[in-house]
Amino acid sequence: MAGATQVLPRTIPRREAWRRRGVRRAVTFYLLISPWLLGFVLLSAIPLVGAFVMSFTNYDGLNLDYLRFVGPDNYARALGDADAQYALGRTLLLMLVVVPVGLVLQLALALMVNQPIRFSNAFRTIFYLPYVIPVVAGVWIWKIFVDPSGGLVNAALGVVLPDFNVRWLVEYPTFVLALLTIWGAAGGGMVVFLAGLQGIPAEYREAAMIDGASRTQVTRFITLPLLTPVIFFNLVTGIIVALQILVQPMLLSPGILGLNPGTVPPRDNYFYVVHAYIEIFTKQLFGYGSALLWLLFAVVLGLTVLLFKTSRRWVFYGVEP
Amino acid sequence: MSLALARRRTSPAQTGVRYGPVVVAAIAFALPIFWLLVTSLKKQSEYGSALFPSVLQWANYELAVELADFGHFATNSLVLSTAYALLAVLVSALVGYGFARHSAPGRGKLFMLVIATWMVPNLVLFVPQFVLFARLGLTNTYWPWILWGLSGSPFAIFLFRQFFASFPRELDDAAEVDGAGPLRIFLQIYMPNAGPAIAASAIFMFLWVWGDWLYPALLLRQDNTTLAVRMANAYLDPHGNPLQTVTMAGVALYVLPLIAFFAFAQRFIVRGIVTTGIKG
Repeated sequence: MAGATQVLPRTIPRREAWRRRGVRRAVTFYLLISPWLLGFVLLSAIPLVGAFVMSFTNYDGLNLDYLRFVGPDNYARALGDADAQYALGRTLLLMLVVVPVGLVLQLALALMVNQPIRFSNAFRTIFYLPYVIPVVAGVWIWKIFVDPSGGLVNAALGVVLPDFNVRWLVEYPTFVLALLTIWGAAGGGMVVFLAGLQGIPAEYREAAMIDGASRTQVTRFITLPLLTPVIFFNLVTGIIVALQILVQPMLLSPGILGLNPGTVPPRDNYFYVVHAYIEIFTKQLFGYGSALLWLLFAVVLGLTVLLFKTSRRWVFYGVEP
Repeated sequence: MSLALARRRTSPAQTGVRYGPVVVAAIAFALPIFWLLVTSLKKQSEYGSALFPSVLQWANYELAVELADFGHFATNSLVLSTAYALLAVLVSALVGYGFARHSAPGRGKLFMLVIATWMVPNLVLFVPQFVLFARLGLTNTYWPWILWGLSGSPFAIFLFRQFFASFPRELDDAAEVDGAGPLRIFLQIYMPNAGPAIAASAIFMFLWVWGDWLYPALLLRQDNTTLAVRMANAYLDPHGNPLQTVTMAGVALYVLPLIAFFAFAQRFIVRGIVTTGIKG
């Protein structure tokens, strides 16, 4: 007891000092993050609340005089909007093609350039380049590449098949768009896979090979399971990007006078966010368009949550080496 | 590479298996870019008639610069991209440092918010921002990019947080004993050692503005807009016919600086991503 009474007076000021220190630390923390916090409140939180309120109005982007609260009308209309349903169907189709194909390609590229091969840095650069090429340039590159008159694709196919004349952007616009997006995204995914591959300790593979495992077995049973967190990351980001596709289909118009953002893309490339964009910026239906976008957000969120739930079954978070 | 892998070498068939697919893939990836360069060097009369140029038409590049007021729009792009990248990197580093090194109630939840803003579809956020900027009279100005820069980028904040979290804490303690405040520790200890993260995020921030078409198309005027918006239009001859060859020369000039830079900095970028962001 005597010891305790002796200790007490000493601990209280120390605790007090710790508490003050904690307050000071908290103030420092909030000061340090204040630019982001301020920006988040002014440029994200308030606009998001505004957008949500806007989706229950008939706002036209200009005039506040006619602003009217329309309740859930916009949402009811969106659910019955045939164009929106069609566009959502096209978007899901594009996603179901581009995401798996892209993922397999990215992984294959990473495995290939991770081998001990000559010029591996040159190969990496070539695969990475399309990822840094801006969208306007990428669309131009593919437009000219598949152009019926000056493009390489038809010229090459024309050697094999006489009178070959497919107008790719008119007849198969979604096919060209899929190639463009897979080509453009591959390098980014590859680099993330490479980072993952280099995070796997070489001893794991060596141990398996000494035990007599073949190259394929090492890839299948050692590398792939340890890569599942990276696969998961690329899968989620790939889906989020694919569902929001807008600029590429807007710009990939069949016209010859440039990339015509004013025109509606061909019906095949009429994707969900394209529809929302046209409702908002062409038809000035800011309220209705916002409702369309919130519904998309709900779909994106739902899919992400679903993926995170299934991830428990197949994503292997290994122990840190 | 590892010893066990190195020992199993290498018949011609194995070499073929190792190099065949990667060479084929590289050709497939490079062909569209190669074709851009080929087209940019043709005579306009050769477009659609000759596969390759008979004489390389470097004059197309001069025309591309003259006919589109290229320098003006390139300057706009350069100014806007640099200003945004500079602000966004500095602010994101500061905020990332805060998240990595200073604890406070609510820190975890706030960091979740950083990640969450990353997931909101672009347009969901942009439409109300557009309305806001229009109401404040900030359309047709570069203010939106300045404001975006000043509030940092979620991607870069995440990158810096991960990067700074791996720094040894003893550094801070030593500096604190010497009487340095958090800002000085950040500027004199963290920033000088954050080379890879600064480079990787600066490049991506710069590239985002340089490559973006949507926001300048919606927010800026024809005369103060960026090169991306200008390049979306084809070059035309006086009769209004498209000049595909000159257009491709213009597009090449628009991307060549990036390509040259990335070919040069490729190793550095990959290392930056490996050491900072997502580890397997």
